[in-house]
Amino acid sequence: MASAQSYLDQLFFGVLPYLALIIFFLVTIQRYRSQAFTYSSLSSQFLENQRHFWGLVPLHYGILVVVMGHVVAFMFPRQLLAWNGHPIRLYILEISALIFGLLTLLGLLSTLVRRFAFSKVRTVTSLADILLYVLLLVQVISGVYVAVMHSWGSSWFAASASPYLWSIITLDPDISYVIAMPFAVKLHIVNACLVIGFFPFTRLVHILVIPNPYLWRRPQVVRWNKAPGLRR
Amino acid sequence: MREPLSVAKVPRRSYWMKWCAAGFMILFLAMPRGAAGQETAAFYKQNCYSCHTIGGGRLVGPDLKNVTTRQDRDWLARFMLNPQAMIDRGDPYAKQILEESRGVVMSQVAGLTRERANALLDLIEAESALEKSQFEGVKFSDRPFTSQDVERGERLFKGVESLKNGGPSCISCHTVRGLGLLGGGRLGVDLTKVSERVGGRKPLSAWLVSPATTTMQPVFKENAMEAEEILSLVAFFEDAAKQVGDDDSVAPLTFFLMGLGGMVLVLGAFDIIWKNRFRAVRRPLVAGGQMGTRV
Repeated sequence: MASAQSYLDQLFFGVLPYLALIIFFLVTIQRYRSQAFTYSSLSSQFLENQRHFWGLVPLHYGILVVVMGHVVAFMFPRQLLAWNGHPIRLYILEISALIFGLLTLLGLLSTLVRRFAFSKVRTVTSLADILLYVLLLVQVISGVYVAVMHSWGSSWFAASASPYLWSIITLDPDISYVIAMPFAVKLHIVNACLVIGFFPFTRLVHILVIPNPYLWRRPQVVRWNKAPGLRR
Repeated sequence: MREPLSVAKVPRRSYWMKWCAAGFMILFLAMPRGAAGQETAAFYKQNCYSCHTIGGGRLVGPDLKNVTTRQDRDWLARFMLNPQAMIDRGDPYAKQILEESRGVVMSQVAGLTRERANALLDLIEAESALEKSQFEGVKFSDRPFTSQDVERGERLFKGVESLKNGGPSCISCHTVRGLGLLGGGRLGVDLTKVSERVGGRKPLSAWLVSPATTTMQPVFKENAMEAEEILSLVAFFEDAAKQVGDDDSVAPLTFFLMGLGGMVLVLGAFDIIWKNRFRAVRRPLVAGGQMGTRV
């Protein structure tokens, strides 16, 4: 039993992350090379725009802040632990993170209800969309559960998950950091790998093609095509 | 009729093969490696030292001097590999060890194999034959705790004072009674009665030298706590055990409700920020708006 568990730990935390990353990079590049115009969020705002706002906005602002929090904890674990060095700062960070986690959950549930409640939107829903909803729901629910029931994630992520992720990136995986974590934390990690691996097959690819070049492209000269007197 | 061979497809296939080969090479290189090369003594120090001495008396677990004369090696190896299973099976000697350890079950040791268990038993045998083993145990100051020790321990627990060697503060994963508001972390156990649970000052101090649980060990193996820090923390834990206030078991609910309240506020802010948001095209036109006159 112990060896079966150990085998599963190796598989889920030592091998799965690499499989997910390999699929992510290979398929993302290949899809962009062969089907660049499928890189889209496939927005359904055109089909229904009354309920759209309350799904879209909480989901996107929620997920952006939460993912950014994970990235900061991964990149700057010591600085994060220093910030959390006073309980009141720790509590402020944790409550803020939970607010955005709950916004993500609410936004996701709202888009889910909208997608299946409106026939026009339901019609353009693919199998990949449904699978993606399942993966994202598991990810967000497990994330919120971990935040509440296994606090304080911002600190122990910096102490345990960050070194684990660095060990993955540096091709020297040290799964000892995560094998003793509670089930919900393990589920969150494994499901994150599944989301990364499934990413290039879904509409999530739109994340890679938001108009990033706007940030660094040369200023464009905008010319008016009307006589000055006619401008309003 | 056979279709003509598509010349254009050949390089694409080789391109895919190249990518797949590179991918699997990365996968092979990235396969987790065990701790096979680790020295037995270093392994003992990292995994056994915090709960056992060899000739230094009992800590959380029994003194291991001459353990191989008290029980046969096969039994010892089986116990080391899975202590909980031996207890669950009702083994009388395993139950006796559990009672003597005040109900603290030996945690399963990560990376322990049958071969390594035998090597550890060889090491314990050799060290038992010595007059003074290198694993006799760390000597701690036994001076009485002062209020300054308790205060410093609280600062270290909360993270207000950082641990010198970079380990995370206890509050990241643990709570104790009396922290107030949202309390401490809940990834690990409540430490209010930890001193009582492990058998007092000496075993707790020894345990903190190299925490041996599977969660704490990787975190503290490179960031061991210093003796003075351990003394202050133990003083704080002994003081926390005397606290009689309410426990903070409602803290997760309070935390969740605070998050929920904050979420409602942010949703209100979204509504205000985007109050002029785009709502429809056709409906205002039908309602007789004056839009659409410009080209």
